[in-house]
Amino acid sequence: MLDQNGNHSRAAAGEGPIVEVRGLSFARGSRIIFNHVDIDIPRGKVTAIMGPSGSGKTTLLKLIGAQLKPDAGRVSVDGVDVHRLPRDEVFEMRKRMGMLFQSGALLTDLDVFENVAFPLREHTRLPGSMIRTLVLMKLEAVGLRGARKLMPRELSGGMARRVALARAIALDPMMIMYDEPFSGQDPISMGILVQLIRQLNDALGLTSIVVSHDVAETASIADYMYVISDGKIVGHGTPDEMGRAESKWVRQFMQGLPDGPVPFHYPGAGYIDDLLASEEP
Amino acid sequence: MIELLRYLGRWGLGVFQRLGRGHIFVLYVLAGIPGLLFRFRLVVAQMWAVGVLSLLIIVVSGVFVGMVLGLQGYNTLVDFGAEESLGVAVAKALTRELGPVISALLFAGRAGSALTAEIGLMKATEQLDGMEMMAVDPLRRVVAPRFLAGVLSMPLLATMFTAIGVVGGYFVGVGLLGVDDGAFWSQMQSKVELRDDIINGVLVKSFVFGIVVTWIAVFEGYDAVPTSEGVSAATTRTVVNSSLAVLGLDFVLTALMFNQ
Repeated sequence: MLDQNGNHSRAAAGEGPIVEVRGLSFARGSRIIFNHVDIDIPRGKVTAIMGPSGSGKTTLLKLIGAQLKPDAGRVSVDGVDVHRLPRDEVFEMRKRMGMLFQSGALLTDLDVFENVAFPLREHTRLPGSMIRTLVLMKLEAVGLRGARKLMPRELSGGMARRVALARAIALDPMMIMYDEPFSGQDPISMGILVQLIRQLNDALGLTSIVVSHDVAETASIADYMYVISDGKIVGHGTPDEMGRAESKWVRQFMQGLPDGPVPFHYPGAGYIDDLLASEEP
Repeated sequence: MIELLRYLGRWGLGVFQRLGRGHIFVLYVLAGIPGLLFRFRLVVAQMWAVGVLSLLIIVVSGVFVGMVLGLQGYNTLVDFGAEESLGVAVAKALTRELGPVISALLFAGRAGSALTAEIGLMKATEQLDGMEMMAVDPLRRVVAPRFLAGVLSMPLLATMFTAIGVVGGYFVGVGLLGVDDGAFWSQMQSKVELRDDIINGVLVKSFVFGIVVTWIAVFEGYDAVPTSEGVSAATTRTVVNSSLAVLGLDFVLTALMFNQ
């Protein structure tokens, strides 16, 4: 139930899911990304959003962060419909959200220390000594205090994501969204990131939304999982429940089967017809 | 025929949509400029990047353009026995036209393309998205300081180009070709006017060129398709569009300022 300002009736923080997605529809041109999707993200938990590449997982994070507007439906964060907020209030809301981008999205002209200090310098009037202390604490949490003078180009992919994670928690947000945190990581970096996400979530009392298609790593830290495919939620539950799911969609994804509801072949003309056709590509 | 009309219609709509986006974009950027008065160090840092680092190409080009003007001017004037007017000819040509126009073209090639590539790559590497999610408006934090720095730097660079050009003309005319030193400077002093030549010719023109070139550069970067090909195309569009805009605007400004 919405009030006149578009706020949810359970707007008081601490009640109900931190993110409520209701009837969400979104399309890019003629391609439907989401078709009346409902999702609840519980507070204080690690919730995984999983699905094949191109299924709209990153788009969902951008819709939650109000970087994209849905064609229909509602996305509420902490009881507030983020797409009905004016621009300055959206920015206020984002101060309470952290986001870890797939690339890290570190500012390439600033060193590690300044990257982590960036949101503090932009949004607070803290003295330099306090900013230094806070930055060192955040970097210590991700194990990179000693790397504070390095430039982003000198970091490995895993280190860049840990710096981005330190930056994401700089303002002590209520929730963090992780966009493919494990992709392209070596086993050691992946293990570090898996551990950090869980530990930071529990130690700081955060809510974490992890978008990923790395099944084993994500299932090992998630409290709850959603699987998205073909514009809709094809399954949700705890990792154990998902492992035992009967749904063909969920089984194909969880077990990494090459063919199934998500076909191996991209849709096209028949193979024989294609071979016998003229030389046009 | 119908296909051709459709194509033209789509093309026209695309052009007007981009123009509309560009104007809304610059309004947001202008709204961010008052806030920069309290964070002027951001503008100063960008003036270093777009202004000071453009000095070398501006100075070297200014010397050579002035030298060519001195040589060509002397060859023409000497036939009429008016070589003492060389200083006026060089100064008028530089202040009214060549100083602001050539420095704007060089600025578009050197600083404009760099601005587009930098902002486009920040977009492609999700740095701008990252800022938005940190509740930092990239239009105010990234684009506005660069825009203001470009607008402020352009008149300074054009003034530098013009002054150095006069020195180049002096070197060739007086130093190499034997024009009288006193005549070169005194005629220039008596004929070059502060309002028409210096203020309108150099400062106003280059200020307008600075606005247009920097606007195109930052918009193309911000609007670039976030791929290597998209950034490359945006950089090319910056140089081509801003060069054409400078040349077209130069005619309009000249007609408005100097038409008797």
